Amino acid sequence: MVASVLIIGLWWLIAHNAGSGWVQLLGDLVFGALLIGIVGPFVIVTRARIGLRSAPGDAVAGLPALVRVESRSRLRVRPVEPPGPDVFVGPGGRRGPVDEIVTLVPTHRGVHESITLDIASAAPFALQWWTKRVHVPLPSALHVSPHCGWAQPVPRRPDDGTGDVHEQPRAEEGLPRGARPYVPGDARRLVHWRSTAHAGRLMVREVEQPAAEPVTITVELPMDPDAAERVAEGALGSVVRLLEGGTPVLLGTRERSGPVLGPVADRRSAGRRLARAVAGGVADGKARGVGSTPGRHAGP
Amino acid sequence: MSVIDVVRRANQPGLPENSIRLRLACLAAVLVAIAACASLGEIAWTTALGAMVLVGAGTAFSHATRSRPPWWVKALVAVGATAACVWFFHAVGSVTAGVTSVINPLTVLLVSVLVVHSFHVPSRRDLLFTLAASAGLMAVGGALAIDLRFGLYVVAWACCTLWALTEMWTSASGGGRISVSGLVLVLAATSTAAAGVFLVLPAPVVSSRVDFIARAGAGGSIGAPGALAGDSGNAAQLSRAGNPASRIRVGGYLGFAASLNTALRGSLSNALVLQVRAQRPSYWVGETFDTWQGESWMESKPVPRRPLRQTSPFVLPVSLGDVPFGQSDLQTFYVESSTADLVFHAESAGELWFPSAKVYVAGDGTIVSPIGLGSGSVYTVDSQVSSATPAQLRADDNPFALPPDVQRQEEQLPHPYPRVLALARSITAHDTTTEGKVQSLIHWIGAHTHYSENIPPLPAGADTVDEFLFGNRVGFCEQISTSLAVMLRSLGIPAREAVGYVPGSYDPITDLYQVHADDAHAWVQVWFPGYGWQNFDPTAVVPLSPPSPGATALHDVGSLLRRIPLVPVVVIAAAAGLVVVTVRWRRSRPATWAERVARSAERAGRRAGQPRRHSETLAAYAARLDGLARPAPSTWSRLASSVEASAYGGHDPPRSAQRAMVDEARRTRVRPRVGGGRDAPVARDAPDVPVSVGSGARD
Repeated sequence: MVASVLIIGLWWLIAHNAGSGWVQLLGDLVFGALLIGIVGPFVIVTRARIGLRSAPGDAVAGLPALVRVESRSRLRVRPVEPPGPDVFVGPGGRRGPVDEIVTLVPTHRGVHESITLDIASAAPFALQWWTKRVHVPLPSALHVSPHCGWAQPVPRRPDDGTGDVHEQPRAEEGLPRGARPYVPGDARRLVHWRSTAHAGRLMVREVEQPAAEPVTITVELPMDPDAAERVAEGALGSVVRLLEGGTPVLLGTRERSGPVLGPVADRRSAGRRLARAVAGGVADGKARGVGSTPGRHAGP
Repeated sequence: MSVIDVVRRANQPGLPENSIRLRLACLAAVLVAIAACASLGEIAWTTALGAMVLVGAGTAFSHATRSRPPWWVKALVAVGATAACVWFFHAVGSVTAGVTSVINPLTVLLVSVLVVHSFHVPSRRDLLFTLAASAGLMAVGGALAIDLRFGLYVVAWACCTLWALTEMWTSASGGGRISVSGLVLVLAATSTAAAGVFLVLPAPVVSSRVDFIARAGAGGSIGAPGALAGDSGNAAQLSRAGNPASRIRVGGYLGFAASLNTALRGSLSNALVLQVRAQRPSYWVGETFDTWQGESWMESKPVPRRPLRQTSPFVLPVSLGDVPFGQSDLQTFYVESSTADLVFHAESAGELWFPSAKVYVAGDGTIVSPIGLGSGSVYTVDSQVSSATPAQLRADDNPFALPPDVQRQEEQLPHPYPRVLALARSITAHDTTTEGKVQSLIHWIGAHTHYSENIPPLPAGADTVDEFLFGNRVGFCEQISTSLAVMLRSLGIPAREAVGYVPGSYDPITDLYQVHADDAHAWVQVWFPGYGWQNFDPTAVVPLSPPSPGATALHDVGSLLRRIPLVPVVVIAAAAGLVVVTVRWRRSRPATWAERVARSAERAGRRAGQPRRHSETLAAYAARLDGLARPAPSTWSRLASSVEASAYGGHDPPRSAQRAMVDEARRTRVRPRVGGGRDAPVARDAPDVPVSVGSGARD
């Protein structure tokens, strides 16, 4: 812009003293083009409105999340929080939808009620870019869960080996309880041949899931964001490993409203809990990090 | 950030530009600029064509190598540009004609830079430089343009530049194109901004620190050196003297000769004779006459045969009785068609840039060219223009007096004019100053005489002044001004007749005064002791204030608009607007009965503050609208059911039923129940989206 002002000033100085009307007229045209090229984008960006067509409720730190936004004018959109690559939205060359997908790549876990975008335009001459920061509220909060890290070994209590069942059955199999007639849909591996031979018709085993003891994982995040991110990643890895093994998990975290201890059913809910988690201990005097305790825990 | 970092950052190569259209637009702008310069003679057409071919080839080469431009190309471009600059400074240093002669080397420099640069234009930034250089080339061309034909190139260049700039945005925005309406808006905004500046800026001035071009045109030699063309009787000269038998002097005007016959007025054409670039308008003086013979004016001291030999600029001697202490005013005269060999100027000429090694200067300031001034001749005069105001003239009490012989000549009369003297005394009875007497006489002439060129020639031997003042009092400028001069002389005030041109019409685009043949004029110069010879025009009031391009352009536009027949234009515009509105309404009208019903539902819901949501089907929306009222009617649900059955099930009702449903949908209103509020909250940013109901039958 400074260069434009200097060019125009120099041009007029020469034109005015050269005594040529054509030079001055050309300078006026160049001024008009520069003025529109500089002011035009400012007006466009000032009047621009970004609408949100769709947004996910969950995302994973480090992985892209796609948000569909729309605009009536052509804009360059740069996601700031969560960050992401530049993309152009708005009417393009062909007639069609004016919405585009903006990719967000959140770097840290957290909860976003809105996304922050830098919208920019240089229309109509691409001479000057004007940028404006806008906050677009999301229809529902975007939970950015931590990346699933390595699962930490879950410490066992000394009496873990005592019990009626020495070896836990696989979660999808369960413990045999009896036999019943076959109904279409039963797995072939459940056919109990001995009972079949005895009953004279196809019989299958009936199994039941053992009521496993939940594991309580308490996550206390340190103040350092990077360290907290690593702790959360490890916690999520542990939770996921336990859930995949069929072990119910009680997850204890500290949220803005205070300590929260509750079951997590799947990776998504665990990710959301960890996304909302803030630094601080669940209970006073505990060391930072992930702690796990088999057995039932009372809620806070 | 250090200077080195700034330079390094500025030299970072940009991303390769892939848009072919952008390159073509920039190429077109450059070609137009080169052609414009060639049309003005700043470079030869063969050179221009060669440059155009090279620029085209360079553009293709740049596009082909945009991703990996060879290093040696950049080196060659740098060497070529440096060589062009070295040549330019050498050429500028060797020219002797002044700064104006830099134009041609500058044109060659810019064209050379554009040619070599075209081979290394990989990125968008480089293309922007190309556009800027083309603008500079156009400016160099415009510096020498003196007519509106250059406007064609300006328009073409502006279109190409606008195209290039919009393509630049298309490329920068990943394919974002400006719509037609947007383009019109941009064009209007740019034009408005340019016009606004044009209206506000003062007219350009000519700096007095530069030298000026002086070019001989197609005039040829004058047979009798020092004589006015036509007076020598040479047939090869530009014109012949005017006399009753032959009125065919230059442009038909009889005054540019050794004598001025006031009994005749030639038939003046509207041909463009001169274009004058000046800082302010003036009477362009050609020559003056001091001897009145009753019918004709003569010069008592003709132009000397001994010329003033010098090289430009000629330093001209101060004419007799002049006080050359006014404002310096520069005028460049562009001769458009053959004219007299008089060198026109404003009041007192001080310096002259002329395309010959000699000029002839008379004692009264008349300058005669030794060569014929044909089309294409250019010369510049630095004149001293009087800045005396009427009040200053009235208060002039300078004891300076003309030499007695000069004063006698300037008060000379061929015979006593008792009636004229009596009339002049009666008119100026209450005036004590020279200026007051002049103004009173001008006022009287304006009130009691009429201007007309269609009068019969005066009888042979008749005195022009007597015939005019005591006859029908109808005459033309020579007769009117002569009457004033004679009345002044009869009162003992030195006065003389001057002939030349009025300033002409001011062209705000070219910043030139257009002087036509019928602008030839005669007026009176009155001598004031402290201020020298001052112009007084009893015939016409000619504005002599510095021009304003904006005001002139507005006045011209106003005049143009006044000539437009408003009624037909308004009728045509109204008809065109009606057609546009009708077409747009027909295009926006729903095509099927189903769409009309859906549109009516949306309109009714919107009025009730319940716009349709993005994800809402028509049936769900209709149910929501029905639920707003208690008891809940089922009108909208029923209509939506029929629409969906038609759109998705192919069950089209009869046409009568279709019409009935459309009418019902149009009539039905959504009335929220009292106290119940509105049911679901409206989505925060749910816009009103058009309904897609598939293909319904047209009604």
